[in-house]
Amino acid sequence: MVPTQYYLFLAAALFCMGMFGVLTRRNALVVFMCVELMLNAANLTFLAFARQRGDSIGHISAFFVIAVAAAEAAIGLAIVIAVFRSRGSVNIDDMKTMKH
Amino acid sequence: MDAIRQFFMTAPVPPDTLAPSLWLIIALPLLGAFICGVFGRKLGRGNVHLVALGAVAGSFVLSVLAFWAVSHVQGGRPVSLTSSFSFNSVRYAMAHDFGTWFSAGDFRVNFGLMVDHLNAILLLVITGVGFLIHLYSTSYMEHDEGYWRYFAYLNLFVAAMLTLVLADNLVLLFVGWEGVGMCSYLLIGFWYNDAAKAWAGRKAFIANRVGDFAFLIATFLLVLTVGAFQRQADNTNFAPDNNRPERYAQGLSAKGPLTFQGLEAMANALPHEGAAKVTLHSEIVEGPLAGYTFGGVITAILLLFLLGASGKSAQLPLYVWLPDAMAGPTPVSALIHAATMVTAGVYLFCRMSFLLVLSPTAMAVILIIGTLTSLLAALIAFAQDDIKKVLAYSTVSQLGIMFMGVGAGIFWAAALHLVTHAFFKACLFLGAGSVMHGNGDETDIKKLGGLRTEMRWTWVTFMIATLAITGIVPLSGFFSKDAILHGVHHNQLGESLEWVSHLCGILGYVIAASTAFYMTRLYLLTFEGRRSSEARLAHAHESSWLMTLPLVILAVLSVVAAVYAFPLMQLPSGEHQPVFENFLNPVFASAERIAAAGRELRLEHELPHALDYFIAWLIALAGGALAAFLYMRFFPAQAGKPAPAWARAIRRAAQNKFYVDEAYEFVVIRPLKFLSMILYRVFDALLIDTVMVRGTAWVTTRVGSALRYVQTGDAQSYAAVMALALLGGVAYALIRVLS
Repeated sequence: MVPTQYYLFLAAALFCMGMFGVLTRRNALVVFMCVELMLNAANLTFLAFARQRGDSIGHISAFFVIAVAAAEAAIGLAIVIAVFRSRGSVNIDDMKTMKH
Repeated sequence: MDAIRQFFMTAPVPPDTLAPSLWLIIALPLLGAFICGVFGRKLGRGNVHLVALGAVAGSFVLSVLAFWAVSHVQGGRPVSLTSSFSFNSVRYAMAHDFGTWFSAGDFRVNFGLMVDHLNAILLLVITGVGFLIHLYSTSYMEHDEGYWRYFAYLNLFVAAMLTLVLADNLVLLFVGWEGVGMCSYLLIGFWYNDAAKAWAGRKAFIANRVGDFAFLIATFLLVLTVGAFQRQADNTNFAPDNNRPERYAQGLSAKGPLTFQGLEAMANALPHEGAAKVTLHSEIVEGPLAGYTFGGVITAILLLFLLGASGKSAQLPLYVWLPDAMAGPTPVSALIHAATMVTAGVYLFCRMSFLLVLSPTAMAVILIIGTLTSLLAALIAFAQDDIKKVLAYSTVSQLGIMFMGVGAGIFWAAALHLVTHAFFKACLFLGAGSVMHGNGDETDIKKLGGLRTEMRWTWVTFMIATLAITGIVPLSGFFSKDAILHGVHHNQLGESLEWVSHLCGILGYVIAASTAFYMTRLYLLTFEGRRSSEARLAHAHESSWLMTLPLVILAVLSVVAAVYAFPLMQLPSGEHQPVFENFLNPVFASAERIAAAGRELRLEHELPHALDYFIAWLIALAGGALAAFLYMRFFPAQAGKPAPAWARAIRRAAQNKFYVDEAYEFVVIRPLKFLSMILYRVFDALLIDTVMVRGTAWVTTRVGSALRYVQTGDAQSYAAVMALALLGGVAYALIRVLS
């Protein structure tokens, strides 16, 4: 059986890649994908721990995360589409509205 | 005869019924002040007079009832003062506690009023003389537009003075103390359009403020001392109170540390040597006063109270405001600056006589201060030409004599002189006001003269009052003043301080002669001789009956008050005692007991012999005769010839008040102004304005404009900051876990 820490190392690597993407990429869609990557890294840790403990709490948490991620993706994509329609671009450097 | 006796021995209102209504004595004039002050302009002259006089008259009636209730009740049985501090303090007194006024922690001040023999007399003086002066004022101020303001202030003053007198603790007394100071300030500067008069008010206010500060410090010290005493004392300390320290602690928690009853219980416990744990020489072990002895602290307290009292009662070094206070309306000078407020210091020390006798040092200082003030003021009064200025310096001088009485431990004589002085000095001031009224506001006595035939009533009453103050035999001033001077001669303030009472006794006779001289001079120049060619009016007119009636009453009172100094009362031992001393005995009994227990002080009750009286009378007569010779014979004959240079120099110095004001200017005011300027430049302008106020704004602006560049609006850079912070947190946690 594969030890739990391997899963955790994998999840940490996935999380770091996701975060790196969120912080560096300019395209809003890619940023979204990176956020999904981070969420899935978290899911992976949940499942790894659930398997180690031999109960189902981690699974249930993972399902919750998936449900919330789906909702977030729906709203986020809607916003991205709305921004694209009004500005013709999804580059987040063009969307610095928080400064004003 | 017995029926009449019985009537006067039974109070019409029993003390138990009257005590809860004592607040009315203060409230009536206060209400009068409110009505006159707020609605006065609309009410019109007559109604304002009615309200103001009615309020004081009501207080007077209540005061008479209070006096009656505490003097002889139900066949002379003493009224017991329900004291929270001890069981056995039966007194001719009544008190009522209206509950807690304020409290903080275990410090508490109650609104408690108390009437005993001492303040019953003062109540009568304040409301009685106050009423006469109100009556006089209705005529004196009849041409003044601000009459309603004037009567409001006057009523407010009476209320404040009554608070001062009725208070049963030091804090409430201080309220009255400040209140009379404020009314004095308002009334000195009553004609505020005149800059000089407004300045005089300010001078009085500031001189009083210096004294009040000392008063407050002394009060705080007293709170600490009472606390230390309560912690350290043991049962034997309370031997006079049946060994019940719990009772004292109860009293403290119920009424606070500053009531006079509590202070009296403490003073009674202190001088006992032997088994008692706490005496005057024992050290305070804890608290801010740790390391000092009780006796030392009490001396310091009393000296601070002396400074406070010298502010209010115009003693050295703070007497300078009183002569300037004559800028106010003359009835005010009579009421506030001669009869009532300025005697507050004397009252304070009589009230706290039990503390005073614990410290012969403080008593000696009071005696010296009183003597020096009295002498200096009498010398200045020699050369003053303004009728009110002479009377003002005379007041300072007489107050000095009262302080001599207090300092020598003859409290009853000081109180008697307070009362008789209130009568004749009020009469003199009102007479001076009448003179000014009838002579077109002329105050220079060199330009008056010959009023004897033109102002009959004023002349007669002024002459009687002059004779009273100079000390001519059948009049009250002689007996009250001589009681003090005789006592100063015979009381001993302990071994090392004997020279003080000897010296002050001799100076006392100089003062008596000086008083006779300057008062005779004032009287002669004003009323005798021919009318001056420089007079403003060719003929003076007599004032209306509203002004002469108070004069007559006061003159009569200043004659008959002498009876109180006669040794008419027989003690159980068979000796005779002056009426007034007998009457005040219950109040000063504690002081007597403490002085006897402390053995450092000898309070004498020796009566003056006929020879003593004769000497004093001769001295007064000599002073008066000298003045009469000089001003009736010598000077008129020398008119036109220049006076010798030395005489002119002395006169000029005295006329300029021995340059005391200038010395103050040089020694106190200039350095103070210089210091204030430095403080203003360094602290106000530089530190507070520039560094603190503008500095804060400057720093905020700079920091803001620097941080502006951080706010990019870029969500990713914000997230990066968050991620970095998270990384830092993780690193820190890892380091903590690994180490």
